[in-house]
Amino acid sequence: MDILDKLKILSGSARYDASCASSGSSRNGGEGTLGNASTGGICHSWADDGRCISLLKVLLSNDCRYDCSYCVNRSSNPAQRVSFTVEELVELTIRFYRRNYIEGLFLSSAVMRSPDYTMDRMVAVVKRLREEKKFFGYIHMKVIPGCSTELVRQAGLYADRLSVNIELPSGDSLNRLAPQKQKESILKPMGFLGDAISANRLERKKSRGAPRFSPAGQSTQMIIGASPESDYRILRLSQGLYKKMNLKRVYYSAYVPVNSDKRLPVLAEPPLNREHRLYQADWLLRNYGFSADEILSEEHPFLDEHLDPKAAWALRHPEFFPVDVNRADYAALLRVPGVGVTSAKRIVAARRYAVMTPDGLKKIGVVMKRARYFITCSGRPVERLFERPVLIRQKLLAAETIPAQQPLKQRQISLFQ
Amino acid sequence: MNLYRYDGTTEGLFSAIDHILRHEDDPQEVDLKPRQQTLFDEGLFIATNAERSDILVRRFSAAYPENARQVMYVVLSEKEEMETRLLQYINLVSLYGSRIEAHLTHPAVHAVHFLARKVAREVHRFKGILRFAMLEDGSYLAKMEPDFNIIQPLSRFFTRRLRTQQWFIYDVKRSLVSQWDGKKLDFGTLESFRSPELPEEEQEVQRLWKAFVAHIAIPERKNPDLQRSFMPMKYWKYLIEKE
Repeated sequence: MDILDKLKILSGSARYDASCASSGSSRNGGEGTLGNASTGGICHSWADDGRCISLLKVLLSNDCRYDCSYCVNRSSNPAQRVSFTVEELVELTIRFYRRNYIEGLFLSSAVMRSPDYTMDRMVAVVKRLREEKKFFGYIHMKVIPGCSTELVRQAGLYADRLSVNIELPSGDSLNRLAPQKQKESILKPMGFLGDAISANRLERKKSRGAPRFSPAGQSTQMIIGASPESDYRILRLSQGLYKKMNLKRVYYSAYVPVNSDKRLPVLAEPPLNREHRLYQADWLLRNYGFSADEILSEEHPFLDEHLDPKAAWALRHPEFFPVDVNRADYAALLRVPGVGVTSAKRIVAARRYAVMTPDGLKKIGVVMKRARYFITCSGRPVERLFERPVLIRQKLLAAETIPAQQPLKQRQISLFQ
Repeated sequence: MNLYRYDGTTEGLFSAIDHILRHEDDPQEVDLKPRQQTLFDEGLFIATNAERSDILVRRFSAAYPENARQVMYVVLSEKEEMETRLLQYINLVSLYGSRIEAHLTHPAVHAVHFLARKVAREVHRFKGILRFAMLEDGSYLAKMEPDFNIIQPLSRFFTRRLRTQQWFIYDVKRSLVSQWDGKKLDFGTLESFRSPELPEEEQEVQRLWKAFVAHIAIPERKNPDLQRSFMPMKYWKYLIEKE
């Protein structure tokens, strides 16, 4: 089979991995080396589904011995099985990189003969790229659950980011839908990575010559909507992963039915809105100082479908508002809907020199259509609705709805009628 | 308000700014524009002085590198009627230092930041969407038509990224070209250009890339609006995957 057909199959099976980040690592090899990694990450294209393409995202092989019910590569699927050779994949990466198609390689794989065998082949690819080809671009590698710690350690020395997919939000669902994967075999390498990455950070602070270990951290992914867990449970899990396992990102992937299996739910379409709300809540956990228990609770275990989780929190907590933009501290500013990390920092810097006014806030980048209901500027409110969350909710929803697009013809005024 | 005019070149602009900063009591109350070719153009013309322009640029960049980058981006934007704003901005920075960054509501600071951000965003975008094609002789060529004149910062980025290969970047709209031979970066202009025939190897890699882009999208999540909002159609002309 030629490389074009292999690429079609092995990128087509890799597309269900959500992560395509190329940020968080900075590499520069100097003379005679190919490529560099820039801290902010760079997107090179956007696919027809609107997701960014930054890395050559492929599987080394789709020849899987596992039979996970949700997965396109499950062994009971009658799909054609192919694998790249190490040489093919290294060449493909270099050829794409030299033309500036990609930022680097995202390498995952189905579990071939055994986890160790698979991981060993994957390490061989990145080792060849780094050592023989002197490739300094970005590399994201999946860790195959159940492989030896030594292979994970080697992978960390070559890759910028490692990730172990947690797949489903609970051990029960994992047992039911992916019976050959054990919760422990996923959590063990995650724990190892978390410790090794923070130990490496300390070491590199002491001596800059120390080798890097997965400098862009570790991430994971779970499938949303294939199992019955609530948003509350999912967010609690993510929060635990960020705190205990030292994760950089948790990715959520709306379940796309690729197999028919009686253990799986039947959905009309992938739960994209739910995925979107979970990402918003995830941002609140990581960057806005919220905890999972503030966003949801046992009584209200699902996120508001129509309103972003920050606005929903604000409406449940009228006692917190209004926040005065000229006095409130950074943490309080961050809780105002319409104020993000950038604008909160700008407010704190700018108000040292001049009093903030609604007009100034707008210039700074605050989204006033949301913030206006929750702030005062030196005691003066923009809208006097603080006591009426129901009304604010209506106004917020109205501001988000885009008027339905009419065909151009109907909007045109007819002159001769 | 005093009116000043210059010859429309970048050097002329910095000569004029240098002159005004040294001779005016209040540079915030000055109007600076390129000279018009009409009989009745008002204002004092300041001749270009390469030496003074160079001194200003060098000193300002050394003292305030971050602010100098903003100024550079505004110059690269080629937007008209930014001269007075730039003069005011440079004046404010030299008075208050980089603390001026916090005065985002000041009209001059806001205008300079706003425009510089747009240019910086386009530079960043082209780091991703610029596409090189290998030619017969083994060198690589990338064509582009950016909104702003970003060939300089963009080329410098690729001298670090693709340093082991020879390449050209060609700004079709402005007839500008940059060349990297593996050691040295040169800029020049290109009067006429004929697209060369691509070797078979290059065509094969392009086929591979198109296949990859087509198969990496999840069909059930098709979302052309989202795709276009990240990657506006004005950039599609030189994207192999969008041919």
